[in-house]
Amino acid sequence: MNIDEFLAMEPCSDLDEVVDLRSLDYVSSYDDHLMCAICHCPYIRPVRLQCDHVFCQKCLNTAITTFATGRHEFKCPTCRAPAKGVYLSVPRFLVNMCDDIRVKCPFEAEGCKEIVPRGHVQSHVDKYCGYRLMDCPDLFCTKKTRKKDLSAENKCMHELHQCLRCDEEVMEQDYQEHVQELCPSLKTTCPDCEATVFRKALREHIDACPEAIHSCAASKYGCPVKVKRAELVVHEQNCPLITMGPYFEAQNARLDSMELTIRHLQQRNEIFEDGLASIRSTLVESSRVMSARNADVPAETNSQIRPSNPSVPENEQYDNSSASSNATTYLLALHESLREEVGQLSHAITDLDARASMAIMNECLRLKEDMAHTNAAVSSIRMQVQWLMNPRIHQGQRTGVRTSNNNNNNETRTGQLGSSTSGPSNAAGPSPGLLRPRRLSDSGREGTKL
Amino acid sequence: MFAGKRLSKELLKMKEHLPPGISIAKSENLEEWQMDIQVLDENPLYQNQVYRLKFTFSSKYPIEPPEVQFIELSSTSETPRPIPIHPHIYSNGIICLDLLSSAGWSPVQTVESVCMSIQSMLTANTRDERPPGDSDFVSYNRRRPRDINFFYDDDNV
Repeated sequence: MNIDEFLAMEPCSDLDEVVDLRSLDYVSSYDDHLMCAICHCPYIRPVRLQCDHVFCQKCLNTAITTFATGRHEFKCPTCRAPAKGVYLSVPRFLVNMCDDIRVKCPFEAEGCKEIVPRGHVQSHVDKYCGYRLMDCPDLFCTKKTRKKDLSAENKCMHELHQCLRCDEEVMEQDYQEHVQELCPSLKTTCPDCEATVFRKALREHIDACPEAIHSCAASKYGCPVKVKRAELVVHEQNCPLITMGPYFEAQNARLDSMELTIRHLQQRNEIFEDGLASIRSTLVESSRVMSARNADVPAETNSQIRPSNPSVPENEQYDNSSASSNATTYLLALHESLREEVGQLSHAITDLDARASMAIMNECLRLKEDMAHTNAAVSSIRMQVQWLMNPRIHQGQRTGVRTSNNNNNNETRTGQLGSSTSGPSNAAGPSPGLLRPRRLSDSGREGTKL
Repeated sequence: MFAGKRLSKELLKMKEHLPPGISIAKSENLEEWQMDIQVLDENPLYQNQVYRLKFTFSSKYPIEPPEVQFIELSSTSETPRPIPIHPHIYSNGIICLDLLSSAGWSPVQTVESVCMSIQSMLTANTRDERPPGDSDFVSYNRRRPRDINFFYDDDNV
């Protein structure tokens, strides 16, 4: 049949069941192959899928209805093969083996000691079990009665009766048992002294019974003596362990207080260890920050001089070793690395200083040389200018002579320029009309510059 | 009732016999159990470590899957239990395994079989990593494991 038909037939088949076979107490052990993989009970109404995997009818039904992706996609829970159909026919022997497993009667709690094959438990409960709980015949009473306690007259067994001896109120169904066995007013005999006492006084009697055997009060310190209470007093007067008793007590108290102190100290020690661990972790943290900073500073200042900075790998090495070595050696190592760092820095600074002064000196020399060159050039130019100016001066003097000649003044020519060069300037000055305007300015400069 | 009966049967059986590397840590009630698992081979990721799995059963177990996740016990406790590293196990202990989803679950699974599946999932792993987006998932996820829609996209591990 297909899955829909299987689901449809389920509800009506469970009606006559009173006993829940799954909650039974299975006495005999059963083979795992007889066990439904879903409920782990021996199969109850087994059914079979196309892949030959068997499940209880009810288990399979629940599995199909709650299957996530829809009932037509349902796959065998064991092998995940598509379950196309459900077959009600399983081998007869399987049903028989499951029904043959012994179970306790479900009314075991009420007193039924019966153990029956599972297949018979339903009929046992229906017909034979005297402990099955039945509704009280009295319509107004809601209590339940064991089947065997139902009276022939169909009257309610839950009426309360007062016990004649102990004044306790007991239900009618329990009255017989109470009177015969449980009533505290019944007499009983002491197991030690064979005196007859009331049941309710038995406990007190045993505590005080002179015949009862008791152990010595020093038994906790190792006294093996066990005698009757009457003789115990005599023994305890002579027992050496009892005289030692107070001393043992004192020692015990001391031990206790010492244990307490030790526990206290342990706690404090733990706290200190925690503190130490946290201090160590903060140290590691701060050193990491410092090494990062160290790595930055030389990179800025010394990058031209020392492109590879040796301080960084060193610090990392110290970081690693700090985990294992203790804090002091770690700090020393850190100090050492910092000292080396400072040495390197000062070395770099002197280097830079030397380079700078060298450069300045070179520059100065070059400038001096330049200045000497310029001086030489200036003086040579000056000489040239002088050389160029000289004929002009002579010319100017000669024209001045010529005008004075025109004015008939002959003494100046012979007196002033008789010693200076006169030959070439005689040839250069034939055109006085052209040179006249320039002569004025030249003569002006003569006095100031040369 | 159904769940309780089945679980007490499973417990009885597990107390008799358990596969190597799996042991019961806590089974005081029938709603939550804790199991200890160990990886038995030489896998260096999990060597000499014990991990704690928490099973939470609903009243519909075994029809519904139990909620299974790793839990962490701090390393200072008597029984330190870390969360194993695995590309399908988030660092809060939630396991991405289709067997534990309602689609991949089958009622024939037992606590023992789930433990064995997770054990073999750890044994087969060689990747020392968490799932992608682990830190986001751990800090933002407030859902219960069974309400999360995982994508079971990786069949390699």
